[in-house]
Amino acid sequence: MIEPAARPPRAASAVRGGRAAHPFLRYALRRVITSLLLVIGVTLVTFVLTNLVPGDPVAAALGQRAAEDPAIAARFRAEYGLDQPLVVQYFTYLGNLLHGNLGVSTLTHNPVASDLAQALPATLEIAIGAIVLSVIIGVVLGTVAAYRRGKVTDHVLRVVSLAGLSVPTFWLALVLYYVFYYQLHIAPGSGRLSSDFNAPPTITGLYTIDSLFAGQLDTFLDAVSHLFLPVLVLTLYTVGLLTRFVRTAVLEILDQDYARAARAKGLPTRTVVWSYVLRGASIPILTVVGLAFGSLLSGTVLVESVFAWPGIGSYAYQAASHLDLPGVMGVGLLIGVMYLLVNLIVDLLYGLLDPRVRLAS
Amino acid sequence: MADPVSLEGLMVFRTTSSGSTKRVVIGAAAVALTLMVAGCASGKTSTSTSKTLTIDKAFDLKTADPGRMYEPTGEMVDKALYETLLTFKGGDVSKVVDGLASLKESDDAKTFTLTLKGAHKFSDGSDLTADDVVFSLNRVIGLKGNPSFLLDGVTVTKKDSKTVVLTTATPTPALPSILANPALGILNEKVVTAHGGSTTESDAAEKYLNTHSAGSGPYMLSSLNLASQVVLTANTNYDGDNPAYGRVVIQNVQGATQKINVQGGSADVALDLSGTEASGLSGSIKVTSDPSANVLFLLLNQDPTVSKITSNPDFVKAVKEAIDYKDLVSIAGKGTSQAPGVVPSMFLGALNPSDELTTDLTAAKADLAKSGYAGEDVTLNFPSDLTLNGIEFPTIAQRIQSQLKGAGINITLAPAPVATELDAYRNGKETIGFWYWGPDYPDPSDYLVFTPGNVVGLRAGWAAGADPSISKLADAAAAGGTDAERATQFQDLQKALNASGPFVPLLQPGNNIAAKSSVTGVVYNAVWTIDIAALGSK
Repeated sequence: MIEPAARPPRAASAVRGGRAAHPFLRYALRRVITSLLLVIGVTLVTFVLTNLVPGDPVAAALGQRAAEDPAIAARFRAEYGLDQPLVVQYFTYLGNLLHGNLGVSTLTHNPVASDLAQALPATLEIAIGAIVLSVIIGVVLGTVAAYRRGKVTDHVLRVVSLAGLSVPTFWLALVLYYVFYYQLHIAPGSGRLSSDFNAPPTITGLYTIDSLFAGQLDTFLDAVSHLFLPVLVLTLYTVGLLTRFVRTAVLEILDQDYARAARAKGLPTRTVVWSYVLRGASIPILTVVGLAFGSLLSGTVLVESVFAWPGIGSYAYQAASHLDLPGVMGVGLLIGVMYLLVNLIVDLLYGLLDPRVRLAS
Repeated sequence: MADPVSLEGLMVFRTTSSGSTKRVVIGAAAVALTLMVAGCASGKTSTSTSKTLTIDKAFDLKTADPGRMYEPTGEMVDKALYETLLTFKGGDVSKVVDGLASLKESDDAKTFTLTLKGAHKFSDGSDLTADDVVFSLNRVIGLKGNPSFLLDGVTVTKKDSKTVVLTTATPTPALPSILANPALGILNEKVVTAHGGSTTESDAAEKYLNTHSAGSGPYMLSSLNLASQVVLTANTNYDGDNPAYGRVVIQNVQGATQKINVQGGSADVALDLSGTEASGLSGSIKVTSDPSANVLFLLLNQDPTVSKITSNPDFVKAVKEAIDYKDLVSIAGKGTSQAPGVVPSMFLGALNPSDELTTDLTAAKADLAKSGYAGEDVTLNFPSDLTLNGIEFPTIAQRIQSQLKGAGINITLAPAPVATELDAYRNGKETIGFWYWGPDYPDPSDYLVFTPGNVVGLRAGWAAGADPSISKLADAAAAGGTDAERATQFQDLQKALNASGPFVPLLQPGNNIAAKSSVTGVVYNAVWTIDIAALGSK
């Protein structure tokens, strides 16, 4: 009988059904409640941090002449609730949040929720593309590197992945844009669509999906072609990270008794890799994928800037540089909630993949 | 040895997932996809009869509503959508010309009679009348938005169906220049009021005016996304010459990408290139480089409670003499020039280059010794994240620090994000501040703020009465007169400011516009950057 710690996670799932379903539900419920409490914590942190920034939002939002008019400045403060004590502002903010109201942007004069709803799909489109590609490439390269530990392939992959992690994304984005768009003419210009296309009717906000719903194949192809470079840049960064982690995780599993036994038994390498090694390494990989996806959602400012991509990063930068407090808090909350959501999903997947997790909790 | 149960489980999973069900799912997805694209409608705009012009601009856009707009991108957009009573021709902002109306100004610069010329129609085909003019101007005043100050103290009255009279209590010689601002574009009263518009703070027409336009300009607003792009289409009811481009897309793109876009052909015009970026362009790309109307300057606080050092006149003089202006111009890049005074070189009353401040290190050291300065650290505050026409403030601040060190002045740099530093600047708390002034309107009277007791003067701790001789010159300049008289008055004022004021005019950053050679008529205008409707095609 093997030690529990050395068992492949799947082995324990034999107890699925009946009594085992309850521990998972309890586990899931506990995770959901914890996440909700964390959301409240996130609102407090974003509110406090945003209001700690020195500077006057009135001065930042109004033109210099308008800001100097006491009546205009007072009206602005009253309109955005800035004339209330901070505690009152926070509870008003929380109360509004319960109604799905994130406030009104002092920069765009739009409800922050509607601004974010417009920006989020743009970021999601490149982030999803990048994470899918990164997982596929990162898992393959990481596994190959682990199997070829200490050999030339491993060294080459280490250099490549470190390069991906080390090169500044802003610089990489500009270089790739210059090469693929200007020199080679195989990528389109910046933005989500070429200027002779209209945005498809909004359903999801994802141009690739919406253009298909609208039956606009040419718009779909144009949207996909515009995704190419931003997704490539983000993938090059994320794939480096994933390759390193997958390599480490696979190496750990390869040292486990059950993996050694599978190989000793003469099972084909493909079977060993897919059924034993990667399944065993799935939890640490999942953790990194979750973190990487969260970081893609929040960390695309520079890439969005180069490719004129009107996503969350661009919106956050605009809001911060204009002291648009509702906008900054909205982005902070959105990113925080996205991280929590991704982590919640990862936690739930842990529970599904590894019964020890849900049983332990 | 692995647990066999787990292997069985895996096998079951693999068998079901790779079986016929999987093929059915894939087939269904393929069929669905095919059905979705079966219509194959095109998302492309119809360009068979009109050309599309693509302009790259780094957005600072907040709204397209003229009554609330006061940012460079908004000025350019609204110039295309709305017509103003008076206007400027090409890039010459020193002389106002007729727009929708002709002007008769009283000698005391307190009464301005504007008579509508010809018959003008809004984009919906209705006539533009004096009522629309009164409504539009009163709306700007009543909204108390960013551009409301333009009409501070102005009363608007309709005289007859073609004539509107603007009156002010004090002489306002700048009013004709102000009336050329696109923020004072004329709106269709009926359309705007039907969508919540009014001449009070309760006005609710902004949302409508951000999705439609209600003007008589050469273009109509097709769509607006504050973060990404603005699309304009030609107004078929425009009574002037039809614009060369039937559709215009203005995209929000940062400078470095703009250069690649215009080189690669996805943009026809790029508006925000730095001097360095612009100098690398040639061949099929034409670059128009002009000094912009922004003036970068240093202020030295005259309030002894803020700094005993900078409030010393000899120290101020030493700083002016220690700065190497030519060196600053050279690092700022293409199009940049030294600012001769606080009034930009293209405005009425600007100083001649011969009146610019000059470098004299020997004199600087002598004045520094007279001031009693003993090598103390002096703080230079500046916005760390501000880039103006491609000039990065930290770069210039570091160079100034090194130049002043050469004269023996020890500067400590104190960078901060513009949003946070603005407060200290506006409240007059900075010892030495490094900022810029962009014109509110192209008239020298906008620069009276640099005198004692006025907005920027107070930011430099320069209270009213601090320098009676300069205040006297300012009062004379404010009183108005003929253009020639005003030019002389403002030049005298600036000479005095350069000699003894607490401001050091440094640079007018270059404004570099790159355009494909097929685009003609690119002319920089200090108010609206470019007149889109004036761009031609060859």
